[in-house]
Amino acid sequence: MDAKDILGLPKNSFPALEKKSRPHKESHRKPDGISREVYALTGGVPPLMPSLDSSQLKKKPPSHEKITWQWLPFTNSARKDNLQLYHWVRVVNGVPPTGDYSFAKYNKMWTKEETNQLFELCERFDLRFIIIADRFPSSRTVEELKDRYYSVSRAILIARASSTGDVATHPLVKEPYNVSQEIERKRALSMVLSQTRQQERRDEEVLVEAKRIAELRMPAKAVEESQLAPSNAGAEVTGRAVPGETATPSNAQLPSITFPDNASTLASLRILRVYLRTYALDQMVQATSSSAGPRTVKRIEQTLLDLGVNLKPRVPTKAVCAEHLELRKEMLTLLNLQKQVQYKEAEGSPFRDGSYNEAPGTPKDWTFIPDTMNFGGERVSKKDQKRKGHGHPSSSAHKRPRKKASEF
Amino acid sequence: MTNSSSSKKHGQDQPELSGPTPKSHRTKMGKSEDTDKKSHKWTVYVRGASNEDLGAIVKRAVFQLHSSFNNPTRVVESPPFELSEAGWGEFEIVITLHFHSDVCDKPLNLYHHLKLYPEDENSSMSTKKPVVVELYDEIVFPDPSEAFLSRVQNHPAVNVPRLPPGVTLPPPIPVEDASKRRKGDTKDHPLSQWFTNFSEADELLQLAAARQQVQAHIAKLRRQISLIDGQHHQYFKSSSDQ
Repeated sequence: MDAKDILGLPKNSFPALEKKSRPHKESHRKPDGISREVYALTGGVPPLMPSLDSSQLKKKPPSHEKITWQWLPFTNSARKDNLQLYHWVRVVNGVPPTGDYSFAKYNKMWTKEETNQLFELCERFDLRFIIIADRFPSSRTVEELKDRYYSVSRAILIARASSTGDVATHPLVKEPYNVSQEIERKRALSMVLSQTRQQERRDEEVLVEAKRIAELRMPAKAVEESQLAPSNAGAEVTGRAVPGETATPSNAQLPSITFPDNASTLASLRILRVYLRTYALDQMVQATSSSAGPRTVKRIEQTLLDLGVNLKPRVPTKAVCAEHLELRKEMLTLLNLQKQVQYKEAEGSPFRDGSYNEAPGTPKDWTFIPDTMNFGGERVSKKDQKRKGHGHPSSSAHKRPRKKASEF
Repeated sequence: MTNSSSSKKHGQDQPELSGPTPKSHRTKMGKSEDTDKKSHKWTVYVRGASNEDLGAIVKRAVFQLHSSFNNPTRVVESPPFELSEAGWGEFEIVITLHFHSDVCDKPLNLYHHLKLYPEDENSSMSTKKPVVVELYDEIVFPDPSEAFLSRVQNHPAVNVPRLPPGVTLPPPIPVEDASKRRKGDTKDHPLSQWFTNFSEADELLQLAAARQQVQAHIAKLRRQISLIDGQHHQYFKSSSDQ
């Protein structure tokens, strides 16, 4: 029961002896057929079995035929137009090669016969394309068959319809079969299916990380969430931060986490274990300003400057930072109250003059000093309120958007 | 030159330890005989706000210089934590403070922009008066260990605020003979004449005044609002009566 018997190979065609002596001999011999330098490029050591018989290299093909090369025109059956191109053709004994253009067979052509076969099978197997693909005589993929079937059906439907409007709602017309998309979709599915356990775990980790980052970037979305679970978020931060920290030890490089709540900011600072007070103040300021718009923040900063307060304290001790923070909060309150007064004033004017033809306008950027109310019976339009000074020097300040400390 | 002072202070509600350490640099115009490349001698340092020795808290400081310097990573193993060099360029220096193991196992980064040239372009740089930039800051340890607390409870650079009731610290372990240790504070530092004196009093005063003004205004507005509300109520009532 020799394997060679089964395969029909001749016995002892390559005795081991021969093999062993050959490499031994080769090393002492200079190679023939190729020059010494070229041989040295291969490393100078011959392979155990020469890949090419060097004696064959110099031989030329037997030329008992007459071979010429001619520049001839050709047509491609895969093309719809009758474009005629030229190329070199190997002519043997004056006879040019026959047959179609060699690459034409790669064009996916559907013959009428093939299409008929397809439809026959479709009816027989009730549109079960997996089976149809199996039974189809020429090898076509499921997607190809589906594509052919649906496109033909669609064309027939449109052609038979009395008007385009009738068929517009037909699912085949509305959403034609998209081959490339289908192939892509199935490929993705198979990828997901064949994912190894490790890949699954890695993907999960990345998604969790992405989710966490997305959540950190939208703290304002859920004030309650952050208040309910600052420890959860904090624990998460620790968990992620710690491995990162050993690699790049720097807490100042942590993304600034803005929580809408002071307590959560403090909690996040505690987790850092060491931080600079300027950093802490920065975080707290951001937390308080997160509820206000950028314009409001600008106004607060301008007011601070007007009052002679440094935007960033020069000597940021604990007491100074606390005071600074409180001042900012109070300013925010002040601005909110101002807005409130404006709204109420605007509401007030129709009541006062008894006329309803003045609609309250949108509150403008008024200066710090609010207008005093006009309690008189005279009709005062909104415009007049702006222009009239009411004897206050501050009226001219209306036009200036900036607030002055002197107006206090 | 900027120096950042960080004070180590213990918070009350949340026990935290923080301490002032100014970090700073100063540049001095080199003599004209120096090569073009080394036109300015400068020193960057981290010092206690009142020149206290930071060695009890900071184990070593690593100054990361511009890559054009030889061995841009300079490690200073003992106080005073400073580094002197010469050059012509202004760049950001990253100072990494590594603390003792009982203090904090995580290092802290400070960023300092080296300033060599004076603000005022017209005033020429003198070889006598350096350009000084000092920035004050405080290092806060929100959750210090008992060992650390007991060790530094009497340290001048550290602010240890009142402990919560019932908590007592063990007495500090006597340190080695002070004379044996190298002097780590910067009280007699050659550059001390240029050190800034950081006082929080001015700033506190400023802030208090500002707050007072704002509070007064808030009260005024609140009065106004209640007045308007009263008015509206009155008018509304009268119109509905008609």
